[in-house]
Amino acid sequence: MEIRRREFLKIAAGMTGGALLGSHGLDPMFAVPKEVIERMKFGPRVETWKNTTCRLCPGGCGMSVRLIDDVPISVKGNPLNPVNRGGLCPLGLNAVHSLYHPDRVQGPLIRKGSPGSGSWEKTSWQEAFKVISGKLNQLRQEGKSQHVAFLGSDEYGFMRDHIQRFAASYGTPNYFLYSKDSNKRAANFLSHGNRRAPAYDIVNSKLVVTFGANILEEGPSPVYYTKLYSHHNEQQTRYIHIDSRLNLTAANADRWISIRPGTYGALALGVAYVLIREELYDQDFVRAHTHGFDDWMDARGRRHVGFKSTVLSDYYPERVQEFTGVPSSVILELGRELGNSRPSVALCDQAALNHTNGTLTATAVNALNALLGNYEKEGGVYFVDEPPFASFGAAPMDGRSAQAMTQPRVGMPVEAFLPLQECSVKSFSENVLSGRPYPIDVLFLYGGNPLFQSVHHKKFAQALQKIPMVISFDSLLTETGEFAHYVLPDHHFFEAWDIVSNVENVGFTHVAIQQPVMAPMYDTRATGDVLIELARLAEGRVAASFPYGSYDEGIRRALRGVFESGSGAIASEGVGSRWLEFLKQRGWRIDRYSSFEEFWDRLTRYAGWWNPIRSKKHLRSLFQTPSGKFEFYSQTLENMIQAIPTESRDKALRRAGISAGGDTAFLPHYEPVSGESDLPLSMITYQSMSVGDGRGATLPMMQELFGHAVNRHWDSWAEIHPLTAQQYLVKDGEWILVQSSEGTLRIRSKVTEGVMPNVVAIPFGLGHTSGGRYARGHGVNPHSILEGKEDGLSGREAIQATRVRVVAEGRSEF
Amino acid sequence: MVLRLLQLSVLAFVTPAMFGQDFELPTDPLEGRIVFEEKQCISCHSVGGLGGTAGPDLSRDYFFGSGLELASILWNHTPAMNRKFRQLRMDRPKLSEKEMLDLLGFLYYLRYLGEPGSVSSGKRLIESKGCLSCHTIGGGSKEGVPDFRQIPRFSAPLNMVQAMWNHAPTMQKKFESNKVAYPTMSGEEAVDIAAFLQQASTAPTEQRLSPGNPRNGRVLFDKKKCSTCHVGEGKRRRIETGLVKMDLRKGVTEVASSMWNHGKDMFDLMKRESIEWPMLEGNDMADIIAYIYFLGFEDKPGQSEEGLRVFREKGCFECHERSGSQAALLASSGSLNSPFNMVQLMWNHAIEMEDLLITQNKRWPELSSKEMRDLYAYLQGKTKK
Repeated sequence: MEIRRREFLKIAAGMTGGALLGSHGLDPMFAVPKEVIERMKFGPRVETWKNTTCRLCPGGCGMSVRLIDDVPISVKGNPLNPVNRGGLCPLGLNAVHSLYHPDRVQGPLIRKGSPGSGSWEKTSWQEAFKVISGKLNQLRQEGKSQHVAFLGSDEYGFMRDHIQRFAASYGTPNYFLYSKDSNKRAANFLSHGNRRAPAYDIVNSKLVVTFGANILEEGPSPVYYTKLYSHHNEQQTRYIHIDSRLNLTAANADRWISIRPGTYGALALGVAYVLIREELYDQDFVRAHTHGFDDWMDARGRRHVGFKSTVLSDYYPERVQEFTGVPSSVILELGRELGNSRPSVALCDQAALNHTNGTLTATAVNALNALLGNYEKEGGVYFVDEPPFASFGAAPMDGRSAQAMTQPRVGMPVEAFLPLQECSVKSFSENVLSGRPYPIDVLFLYGGNPLFQSVHHKKFAQALQKIPMVISFDSLLTETGEFAHYVLPDHHFFEAWDIVSNVENVGFTHVAIQQPVMAPMYDTRATGDVLIELARLAEGRVAASFPYGSYDEGIRRALRGVFESGSGAIASEGVGSRWLEFLKQRGWRIDRYSSFEEFWDRLTRYAGWWNPIRSKKHLRSLFQTPSGKFEFYSQTLENMIQAIPTESRDKALRRAGISAGGDTAFLPHYEPVSGESDLPLSMITYQSMSVGDGRGATLPMMQELFGHAVNRHWDSWAEIHPLTAQQYLVKDGEWILVQSSEGTLRIRSKVTEGVMPNVVAIPFGLGHTSGGRYARGHGVNPHSILEGKEDGLSGREAIQATRVRVVAEGRSEF
Repeated sequence: MVLRLLQLSVLAFVTPAMFGQDFELPTDPLEGRIVFEEKQCISCHSVGGLGGTAGPDLSRDYFFGSGLELASILWNHTPAMNRKFRQLRMDRPKLSEKEMLDLLGFLYYLRYLGEPGSVSSGKRLIESKGCLSCHTIGGGSKEGVPDFRQIPRFSAPLNMVQAMWNHAPTMQKKFESNKVAYPTMSGEEAVDIAAFLQQASTAPTEQRLSPGNPRNGRVLFDKKKCSTCHVGEGKRRRIETGLVKMDLRKGVTEVASSMWNHGKDMFDLMKRESIEWPMLEGNDMADIIAYIYFLGFEDKPGQSEEGLRVFREKGCFECHERSGSQAALLASSGSLNSPFNMVQLMWNHAIEMEDLLITQNKRWPELSSKEMRDLYAYLQGKTKK
């Protein structure tokens, strides 16, 4: 059943006037079990509030759930949570609707028809366990435990460690994350020697320059940044956003600088030129804590060209203007402002990184922070300490699992690649299809939706069909889940335990508690407990992989380490970071609990713990590069190339997307987006806060909100600059065709100056073929026509690097 | 409007009786920090330099005193504060009785937390106090006397004093055998010494203490037999009898230093009386001192007759009793729970009261802490059922 906007509005109108859950006539908006309806109708109407953590995106916002007679009715932001401080995004505010979604999977299913046919039969948990554990045991007995793979998404919960333990004990190296951040991690590995994402001290910075980082809509935690942003006037922080499109971050910045897609790295290097040329860089930091700034000579007496020489010769403003379209005068202004507004900080993300040259762009922005001497400095860049969770030690392995863990991983390219690269959907799919290095017989899918999100969705679909047993834990079926043979539905997050810790870029150590606010409504199970059950049923020592009896017990035991550390504080109202610092300076423990039970009681009441006080780190301890310093010249990358047979080195560099020769290959530099075609326009995609990575499209209110800024609801649109529209005879609001080498989209145009000329911008998130009645059949999925490009250094899909052309429908042929 | 104001004022006194009981000690005096932030006190006031600048820093000595001394300061600057609220377009916060108690307790407790020490000063003190005649810094332990590099890394200076306290009997013997004078510590010397030792220690983890729990401290005070010698004046058991007179404006470590300084006399006395030396562990010393600290927060009882005089002279009578209905309400209302109940109700009706006084061309009735005590005694008796 699909719902059109008109039907939704009729139903929504019918709901006004205070209709409650369980009232008549609400189907198909909500699906509420009869028992819950009865409680709502005849209960004593006792109101309570319970704190938990939102899991509708990875941001980990604290959420207070309003319950009437223990039935969730509405939510608001938890003001005690230091990440969102009472704020919630529109998606989070609709969490209750996701709980009562009429298309939730209500029990284990087995697919009877072809993928996507919607032909499912109910099965029992016992039967599902019997079949799946039988297969797992068979593979282990045959010495093929590595034929089992797990594919998950970027989440910051306890589940990642939990799956890792199961995989290690069972004996498979094939646990992959379908990650959006591999570019940043790869760049950090080159610059810092570790893959950790730093935090940015925006609060204390006088100028924040965001290269494509749409932090208010697409960042790891948009609400966290929104809260920081909302105070920027009183903090006197200036924001400059660089992007091809006037997004929410650009609109809220003091200045928006528009730029050609894929050229952000060139601009960062142009800014570096100004900092160096005008001696606005931190010479003490550069001298003491960086490697490869000046020309240098290695241990074997070979001379190398440094970053300074390269930048001064290759990235002067007029040349950078040719790459980027940013006027040279603006580049000069930007460099001067960044250098003279100390402390100032630069960060990059989404639009800047999702290109074939994304990793190099991130190294160029890292170089800016190094030039500004920003590391471990107020208003600069710093690294957040890990929460002091109790350690469970390494997962126990028997001979079979230990042997299997030495096998090559299926998600990695087979030949001539740099070990910098992480698993990609492309490599995984190609290897599954070719059976190299070995077949995959069982695939567990937890989170993420590569069939909807990946540019390699066609290959991935083929790969899924080749795998004999695919198991999904979807609680609401996704495009990817439709290909599963079994669906073992997870609880809704209102019904389950988890923890979210250290969300990327958030500037302090934190742990948010997700806890049940109600008993499960359906025959669902926590995926963590499903894995524990599968481990128990597995042969060998797999059952010993979990030193706890249930997933929630594991969480409780992990948090005992936090209690015993005596550090940090329960996120309770009124205890600000400066006060905690005040106490720490005087040697006091920040919080006091007489027992773990008291700690646990307060922790679950407030649903969060944090420690805003960072341990002081010596600059020497920050960088694990070969030089022990920030590396402009990446010896890490050079060593990787040296480790490859001489005859394959050029191929490896090309595959990594590096065409520059000599020392430049190992320095931050600009590589034009590879695989340019003769199509005239660049297509970029972006995420909105309401729909996000596509999950929000499953909710009708988010569909309604989706295009509120352009008055397009439940539908997609393509933004085009007036000059481009004039050139291609496109009028505002008419149907156009957007064609790439991979396919064509039919979509309405939106002519706006909020996008760079010669760019077509299409929001991502609609165009579902699954995901329930509200998601299916609305709008288009721009990723369906993306070229299969990737960043060769990291393996990240280059979703901003597709060339297209447009034409008004019916006006002429392409 | 006036009638409503009077009703509010009188209703404010309808509360259960409690005066005359011992002051109920808090378990965590820092909970008042939540009130301080939540009610936006921090927007104008700072503590220890953290917070707003529109009003004075409340960790200044001027803002130290018993509960009603602090309440008196709060009450007397009400008109100035109200002007500031209007200027900043802020709502004047209302406070519950508990919030008022928490807030005043927090402000009182601030000094307990102490100040950070100076490493360089600590180094000088270590040398001048003769510590190195027994201890070494990196030279290894000798005759059971630990090397300062090998001692636990105490984060709170109080932890160091507690460790010294526990070793006092042994150390005294050493002092005697080595003919070293019993070292005393004044001012912030202990804090500075601890700061030096903290960075000298190579222990991998820090040992931290929590700010004291006064209620637990009271239990420990008896359990450790402190009350055997330190008995005071009836229910107001100030630690004035016998060996020490404590200035509670000091930080906890300075109070602990006073305890250390009288350790030798105490040791001799206890030996004579065959009392065992009290060993302290964990948060014991912090809790005991927190208890001692909070004895200074409690006020002496007031005099009801004096309270009646205050009630009349300050003009309370004009509104609260002259009108027949108001007098009747006051007389028929429940009694006050505690002095903080009275202060809270006064605070909450201050804005309407100020408006009334301005329109009537009357001055704001300032109250000293004694007048507050007396007023409470009168009102408590007046409203008692």
